[in-house]
Amino acid sequence: MHIPDGFLSTAVWATAGAVSVPSVAYLARKSHRALDDGQTPLMGVMGAFVFAAQMINFPVGIGTSGHLVGGALLAVTLGPAAASIVMTAILTVQALLFQDGGVLALGANVFNMAIAGVLAGYLPYRYWGGSSHRKAAIFSGGFLSVFVSACLAMGQLLLSGVPMPRPVTYVSLGLFAVSALIEGGITVAVAGALERLNPSWVRAPEEKPRVGLGLILVAAMLLVSLGALFASSLPDGLERLAENLGIAGRARNLFETPLADYQARFLATDWVRKAVAGLVGLGVVYAACMLIGRAVTRRAAVSRSG
Amino acid sequence: MLHRRDARMKLLALLAVLVAVATTQPFGLVTASGFAALLGAGLLISRLPVTGVLARAAVVLPFTVTFAGIAWLAGEAGRAFALIAKPYLSALAVLLVVATTPMPALLAAASSLGVPRMLVLVLQFLYRYLFVVAEQAQHMWVAAQCRGAALRTSHRAGRFRAASGTLAVLFARSYEKAEGIERSMLARCFDGRIRLLAPPRLGWRDLALLAFAAVAAWSWRWWVAS
Repeated sequence: MHIPDGFLSTAVWATAGAVSVPSVAYLARKSHRALDDGQTPLMGVMGAFVFAAQMINFPVGIGTSGHLVGGALLAVTLGPAAASIVMTAILTVQALLFQDGGVLALGANVFNMAIAGVLAGYLPYRYWGGSSHRKAAIFSGGFLSVFVSACLAMGQLLLSGVPMPRPVTYVSLGLFAVSALIEGGITVAVAGALERLNPSWVRAPEEKPRVGLGLILVAAMLLVSLGALFASSLPDGLERLAENLGIAGRARNLFETPLADYQARFLATDWVRKAVAGLVGLGVVYAACMLIGRAVTRRAAVSRSG
Repeated sequence: MLHRRDARMKLLALLAVLVAVATTQPFGLVTASGFAALLGAGLLISRLPVTGVLARAAVVLPFTVTFAGIAWLAGEAGRAFALIAKPYLSALAVLLVVATTPMPALLAAASSLGVPRMLVLVLQFLYRYLFVVAEQAQHMWVAAQCRGAALRTSHRAGRFRAASGTLAVLFARSYEKAEGIERSMLARCFDGRIRLLAPPRLGWRDLALLAFAAVAAWSWRWWVAS
């Protein structure tokens, strides 16, 4: 599942690297603050543990076996920031010593598995971990950690123009789902066994249980990863509908916007235009959500006090 | 020759070659053979076992050949070739550096090139204990087999539970080991830094290596493009 060098287009690996490098630097500082200095040996040995754990096979039926990937298990034992650093270290060793994944593609692999994968693996535990659905939380953490990173990797390959017929995409999506289910099962079983040995090894979730918010986040994660996969190969649903109905040709712009068709027209190169337009759009949506959120919480506070 | 060069310069040279290979478009047989000649020259002066290194780099092939096959069936023969040649040449370049540099020197070089100290420390411990913990897992697996774990007659759920128990015990042992390491390192005045016995010194040969690799790879890239 690790992407080797030479598969990703320059725009994709450079962007992934540009996201991963500062994220890893931030997470390194954060985990350094969360743990004391003596914990670094623990993180290193846990990385070695995840490596060794891949030698132990779990029977999953029809003569096949699976093994632990480990993102979610590390997140519930070490905490998300330290787990990201450990996963980054594992991916680096795999790229350097075992030629599993490329060195330039390390940014993409780290983003998929160590950042997005670990985050997706930790979120359900963070919001449901303290509730009675604890096992379901750990299971969906394991599931999401593998599924999200596999979908992201596939989306990056598609974005880079690696040819992949539609049936191949669907078959691999099915395989991702199966291996993600296996990872969920293994994570629940191992976390349960660990808690029986020493309850303090599995960290208590930092948040009070908020099942609703957790569900929304999990659904959002699934949508984003699947969306990343399909957005890279399909045209926008609304535009496609318009084309099918034949109204696209009759469409007329009521007024000219500076970011029409997701392009910032004042910039020279094509992909810079799209990237800048995308980022500006993201910023505008974020600001709008922030303002609405503030307004809603203020109104709630006013109605509570009044 | 390559073994004695400064690890920082080797890492920078590796990056220069990798970026040159990755950004060359299109990547045909002629382009690939130029980069292959450069890496082949490196392989010869490094005095590494040639067939061993070539075979080792081939571990990327199962993955790449699958995708190249799909591309070839889709009628994109040029892309199929690039999907095999680029990953193989990149893996060869990485091997050339990793096989001629001791891991502590490589990590110290990464640290001085700006990789966070925390990550470098974790990498050092991971590398140091990788084979220790793997051997422990191997011992536990052999012991389990002696008790009949490999028998297919046992129930699948039971075997699944046994495997998860094994992992939990392996986790426990790794955890204990880490605590022991931490205490013994503190007792030896560990201050969060791992020192090399011989601090690296930069000579003109190291700079020449970087200059040669970068100039050769990039001039080939531009010559092919023009």
